[in-house]
Amino acid sequence: MTLILANDVRKTYRLGRVDVPVLKGATASIERGEWVALLGASGSGKSTLLHLLGGLDRPDRNTRNNGNGAGEVVFDGRALTSMSARELDRYRSESVGFIFQFYHLLPELTVLENSQLGAMIQHGRFGWMKRRRNERARATELLDRFGLGERLRHRPAELSGGERQRVAIARALMNEPALLLADEPTGNLDRATGGRILDALAAYHTELGQTIVMVTHDEEVANRAERILRLADGVVEEG
Amino acid sequence: MYQALLTRRYLLSKVMPLLAIAAVMLCTAMVLIVWSVMAGFLTTLLDSGKTLMGDVEIEASLNGLPYYEDLRDRLEADPAIAASSATVKAQALLGVLGGSMGVQVIGIDGPSYHAVTGFGETLWWRHLDEPLRKDLNEEDLRLKIPEGFEEFGLHLTEVDRETGANVPAVVLGINVANANFATGGGWIVPFVFMPQEEVTLTVLPISRNGAPINVQAQRFPVANEMRTRFYEVDANFVLIRRDALQELLRMDEAQRIEDGFEFGVIEESEHGEESFSAPRVVGVDPARVSSVLVRAAEGVSLGELKERVRQVYAEFVLAHDDANPKPPDSSRIIIQTWDERPGIRNFVQAVKKETALLLALFAFISLTAVFLVCAIFWSMVSEKTKDIGVLRALGASRLGVAWLFLRYGTAIGVVGSILGGVIAVLIVRNINPIHEWIGRALGIVIWDPEMYLFADIPNQVEPTKAAIVLGAGVLFSVLGALLPAARAASLDPVRSLRFE
Repeated sequence: MTLILANDVRKTYRLGRVDVPVLKGATASIERGEWVALLGASGSGKSTLLHLLGGLDRPDRNTRNNGNGAGEVVFDGRALTSMSARELDRYRSESVGFIFQFYHLLPELTVLENSQLGAMIQHGRFGWMKRRRNERARATELLDRFGLGERLRHRPAELSGGERQRVAIARALMNEPALLLADEPTGNLDRATGGRILDALAAYHTELGQTIVMVTHDEEVANRAERILRLADGVVEEG
Repeated sequence: MYQALLTRRYLLSKVMPLLAIAAVMLCTAMVLIVWSVMAGFLTTLLDSGKTLMGDVEIEASLNGLPYYEDLRDRLEADPAIAASSATVKAQALLGVLGGSMGVQVIGIDGPSYHAVTGFGETLWWRHLDEPLRKDLNEEDLRLKIPEGFEEFGLHLTEVDRETGANVPAVVLGINVANANFATGGGWIVPFVFMPQEEVTLTVLPISRNGAPINVQAQRFPVANEMRTRFYEVDANFVLIRRDALQELLRMDEAQRIEDGFEFGVIEESEHGEESFSAPRVVGVDPARVSSVLVRAAEGVSLGELKERVRQVYAEFVLAHDDANPKPPDSSRIIIQTWDERPGIRNFVQAVKKETALLLALFAFISLTAVFLVCAIFWSMVSEKTKDIGVLRALGASRLGVAWLFLRYGTAIGVVGSILGGVIAVLIVRNINPIHEWIGRALGIVIWDPEMYLFADIPNQVEPTKAAIVLGAGVLFSVLGALLPAARAASLDPVRSLRFE
């Protein structure tokens, strides 16, 4: 059953006076519970496609054809372009978890607070006040699972790269998203540490059937996924 | 919720917000200090102005106002009038401590004058039970003064040391004799304790026809000193028992002799003895005063009081229509509220305008805080661009991100305003010792009592004014955060995440 579909999506960026087409009709379908690697060279549009899937960006408007769904990203049967800004915020908050190459943890917050950030955003002030204990327990459990149980009150600056990425994974999984989008999750780590990060993702995928779309330029990393989609010249090719 | 957490963390972990807090703090403190001092100046002016003038004054010309006791009875019978007092005013030469100076002398009846003006409260030398807070060494002489000492001042009477009789005395403004030193702690150290001294008053009486009579001089004991805090009064006014001044000025009751009488020698032919010819007494000239002061009853406005006084005076003139001499009719006297007196009215208006102008200027200067907060927040949004991208990726709405920075601006405004308020209160409350310290350390006297009328700088902060200034401080800070917040909200999440 398809969880998310990018159907012939195009994206062009304007650099100064020049239009640079990044995606030229990329199509990718991801099934629920699948771990897919998006493999491609630097600048091939992997991250752009990931951002479109995550609702952070929208495909080019003039290439969309609402009649046949071309140019659309469709999540669970609903086109993201048909969503209002509020619905898109909710989509990112509830259905998607992002992991970035450079972790993107907020330096002023502790490990525990960083991992709870998504939950705070999702529930709002009053919802958070009501659920605070449960959410804290869940965050602690997640961080414990990723070996950070003793680091709850540490700031990101006090952690190693691998630890930071594990905090970022905990943050992404906090709201139990249907779709986990990982942008070069091991790109900034040494091979051994990166391997342990992938082990953690694999364990989560296997145990809980987490759907993962992972962007990478590294063939070896991509091989950890169940399926590889190659992105070259703005289009997606299977295998 | 994340906004509250991040606001707390940003406040405590960054230097820039501290600068913004400092800017808001300084601006609120500056405006509150200026406003408090200027408004306090005006309030003190208004309060002190009434101290020696009452609410409404009936002022007669040089000839004076006869039958004033009847006028007072009529005034006090009116429910709009709480009290009245008749006074005599004159310019005099005061001989004090070996020197002499020109002063304004007011002849008063102590108790009634106190009922109208509350002047008894301004008598300085009175028994003090406890030393003042800062008087650690109990240097205040008032601690040693016997209870009831001020009664002499209130009645302007002293006991003559030789005869034991009650004799008229004077009350000097505390700065008249230049015999005192005001301490920063709120008490006065006398170089010479004036209530043990005597002064000489020299006046030039004027006849009913306006012609000067012989210069009169007399020595009087000093009963007390008064401190109205109105420098002009404290440095130039001398109060004296009214009957004594009336006598000196020839405004007391006197026999009237026949017109055209010439003094001469009568020779009695039988015995060859000589005697002086005696004038025939044709009547009595009543005692006169310069003015009658009136205090309004509770809840009666100055305007209403003035109107009532005008009516009572008209009835008074009518009642003495057959008398000789007649009281001056309404067109020859001036009835005015205390703040209508020439000089005071213009001065109060000038102070009000000056206060408004100063406030406007400082409020305008405080607008720089808006730009400062704006600049600091703008740079913070740039610094936090990636964090904004992360928040958006985690589902934060544009409005939520804007609120983060607005809330942050509010927090900076609240903290800065509260600190500014605390600083302003501390400075204003201690402004006189600070001023004295600056004077001693740097030799600069900013508040010259001769120029600003009052010896002390007003040192009270009104809660309403504090609330307005603090509220404005928060508002300015939020205004400063508005543009950067809008910019943060409009940032594209993908560009933000890629921002280096």
